[in-house]
Amino acid sequence: MAHKITRKMDLNSEDFYVEVEAPLVAERFRAGNFVVLITVPHGERIPMSIMKAEDGKISMFIKKLGKTSWELYKSLDQFEHVIGPMGKPIDVKKYGRVVVASDLVCGHAENYALCKALKEAGNYVISFQTFPTAEEVYPEEVLARPVCDEYHLTTEDGSKGEEGHYLDILEEMLESGEKIDIIFAGGSLPNLKELGDLTKDYNIPTIVTVRQIMVDASGMCGACRVFVDGEMQLACIDGPMFDAHKIDWDAALRRPMMYVEQEKIAYERCKKLGRC
Amino acid sequence: MAIKPRVPVREQPVEQRIHNFDSVPYGYNEEEAMAEAQRCIQCPDPPTCEAGCPVRIKIKDMNRLIAEGKFKEAYLLVKKAHAFPACTGRVCPQEDQCEGACILTKVGQPINIGKLEAFVADWAREHGVEEEGITEEREEKVAIIGSGPAGLACAADLRKFGFKVTIFETLHKPGGVLVYGIPNFRLPKEIVEYEINKLIEMGVEIKLNITIGQNISFEELKRDYDAIFLGTGAGAPQFMGIEGEKLNGVYSANEFLIRANLMKAYLFPEWDTPISVGKRVGVIGAGNVAMDAARTALRLGAEEVYIIYRRKMEYSPARNEEIEHAREEGIIFKELVNPVRFIGDENGWVKGVELIKMELGEKDSSGRPRPVPIKGSEFVMELDTVIEALGTVPNRLFLSRTPGLKTDRKGVIQVDDNLMTSIEGVFGGGDAISGAATVIKALGEGRRAAEAIKEYIDSKKKK
Ligand SMILES: Cc1cc2nc3c(=O)[nH]c(=O)nc-3n(C[C@H](O)[C@H](O)[C@H](O)COP(=O)(O)OP(=O)(O)OC[C@H]3O[C@@H](n4cnc5c(N)ncnc54)[C@H](O)[C@@H]3O)c2cc1C
Ligand SMILES: Cc1cc2nc3c(=O)[nH]c(=O)nc-3n(C[C@H](O)[C@H](O)[C@H](O)COP(=O)(O)OP(=O)(O)OC[C@H]3O[C@@H](n4cnc5c(N)ncnc54)[C@H](O)[C@@H]3O)c2cc1C
Ligand code: FES
Repeated sequence: MAHKITRKMDLNSEDFYVEVEAPLVAERFRAGNFVVLITVPHGERIPMSIMKAEDGKISMFIKKLGKTSWELYKSLDQFEHVIGPMGKPIDVKKYGRVVVASDLVCGHAENYALCKALKEAGNYVISFQTFPTAEEVYPEEVLARPVCDEYHLTTEDGSKGEEGHYLDILEEMLESGEKIDIIFAGGSLPNLKELGDLTKDYNIPTIVTVRQIMVDASGMCGACRVFVDGEMQLACIDGPMFDAHKIDWDAALRRPMMYVEQEKIAYERCKKLGRC
Repeated sequence: MAIKPRVPVREQPVEQRIHNFDSVPYGYNEEEAMAEAQRCIQCPDPPTCEAGCPVRIKIKDMNRLIAEGKFKEAYLLVKKAHAFPACTGRVCPQEDQCEGACILTKVGQPINIGKLEAFVADWAREHGVEEEGITEEREEKVAIIGSGPAGLACAADLRKFGFKVTIFETLHKPGGVLVYGIPNFRLPKEIVEYEINKLIEMGVEIKLNITIGQNISFEELKRDYDAIFLGTGAGAPQFMGIEGEKLNGVYSANEFLIRANLMKAYLFPEWDTPISVGKRVGVIGAGNVAMDAARTALRLGAEEVYIIYRRKMEYSPARNEEIEHAREEGIIFKELVNPVRFIGDENGWVKGVELIKMELGEKDSSGRPRPVPIKGSEFVMELDTVIEALGTVPNRLFLSRTPGLKTDRKGVIQVDDNLMTSIEGVFGGGDAISGAATVIKALGEGRRAAEAIKEYIDSKKKK
């Protein structure tokens, strides 16, 4: 049952790349889907975005955060379970001029998958990928450049590519009257909220990944509930991508913080065991 | 005639068990079981207890065989009625079924049929009793969606008929509610695992981590299998829909129990999944699910655990044994109150609940007096964790991806007298066709559906 890891490499000081055998997921993956990992027999069910799915394998970008991700980075060469594809794929169709933007690990993985699907559907795809500095920019081979029509690499300190966050550059574009039909974005939740605030004024549909803590990821527990237009929705089956203009952001920003204390305990223990 | 009292059931002492997840009752040993079974007065036929059993176990004969020390025969007799006596002996609402109908209730305590049923099943497991195997191998393939009691029971019988049987299950462990919902201290997981391993040995294939309608479409199954059984359960939680449900520290009972049972959060940090239990825990509702959540919270270290119920406990749908155990363990019952809103602190964590007092009015459709709020009686109770145990409904993920399947407003799948759904060749049973119900009902329907599926496949073959 175990799934073999076929490639692992550093992306920058915090994030790494993992490719794993998962034939069913690879065959059925569509942009917007995610996967659930159980890395070890005693492991948690951990949702992850997918960058690409090819030849029976899926590729992911993972941030070294806590127990699961560190242990995976340092000690694992296989996963116990790889479950998916989960979640609702985006509606891949011709929108016209489409922006895909990201500023964090999960967002960057989605960026690639979304650009590829949207370009294949005949859209003019503009991709933004923001990193803090030149050193932290991912290797060229995993960036979305080859799967979009117009690529903007940005760094917040300006040490590589355009200077600033994608929010700043997008704002300038919108101010200058550039036409954009729809925006898809993922990454930092506070920045996605800000993106929504920005594009609301311009009336541009903005679909963003609302990362929430998940357990079953199949609609059975309600852990991932988000409030969209006042209605309770489940990020795992109704999402994870939702209209940024309709999200109750206060709740969505708060709920991922629920287990911070326990996460510290799990990480410290794993470190002591020499696995993290 | 003086009726002897029941043979007492040995149990883990309260002070000990509130710190672990091991089984609360130890169950009868051979002598105790024989003595309890000998209390049965062997009523003239038809015995009332059997009429009270949803699957018509031959209880009177079971009692007689146990009384004579013929445990294997007793076990095989029970197995004729349904697949998993070790489970139902522990979780059936016996007081509403067999034991409630036992004639001895008129003069004293009824026979402890539940514990006797569990005893024969445990005895058979410990002694490696084998049942009759597969009659003849057949070519036809049947897909079963969901590995809860309904799906497992259906699979067991279909396999005995010789069909090729594949179960598809969303989760990474089979068993449905028996594994992810009902805690170990009520239903030890090795019992369920044993039964499931038996099925695998018989040749039932179980494909885990597959959600039909999500990873594999229903149409694909329709194409590849001769018949399908829907044992998808009613696993989606309902929320009250009141202010404050967004707060951290507010759980559905499903999430709380999935974390604790399926993901073994009670073994955190040896197991990775965390769970958050504050000092004061309030569980909304008073059914089996609420009792399980409350007693789990207690075992996870809560200092005070409240059951918050809008009626009086006498109207609780939970099993008597669970209410009794909960009371012994120090769970506090707050009756005739209902939440109005949850109150949060400045960090967005729940810190209390505003409750309104209720009084009982006219009988409602459930036959119980309807709780009516008393205007102006609101008050606040401080809580660190809230668990909503309001009942569950079928998962809309599967329903929304299965065109042509008739359901009612709540998503309960409609079936005919043969348990066939609105789609030909597709059958259903368990919570999926009745909303949240019982394990024994799911087992019974799984079996009935297996018969109906066999007939369906046979008749198609004749044509
Ligand atoms: C749809 C979706 C897609 C995601 N894609 C990616 C991705 O591509 N790359 C990536 O690095 N991360 C991704 N995540 C987040 C990832 O699941 C968590 O960061 C991961 O669980 C951290 O585990 P840990 O043990 O290393 O850290 P922990 O110390 O356990 O947690 C660190 C933080 O991660 C979040 N988290 C923890 N457990 C879960 C959980 N079960 N579900 C969701 N979030 C959790 C919490 O906010 C927590 O504070 C995604 C999450 C979702 C919901
Ligand atoms: C906490 C709790 C305590 C309970 N206590 C008792 C008790 O004491 N006594 C009693 O008699 N009853 C009790 N019940 C009710 C009882 O457990 C249920 O009535 C019974 O489990 C129903 O069985 P089922 O097979 O229909 O569904 P379930 O046990 O719910 O199993 C359904 C299975 O189908 C899977 N599934 C769903 N959709 C899909 C899909 N699309 N693809 C693949 N798999 C899918 C689910 O993951 C699940 O494993 C309790 C329930 C709960 C939640
Ligand atoms: S993760 Fe359980 S409902 Fe979404």
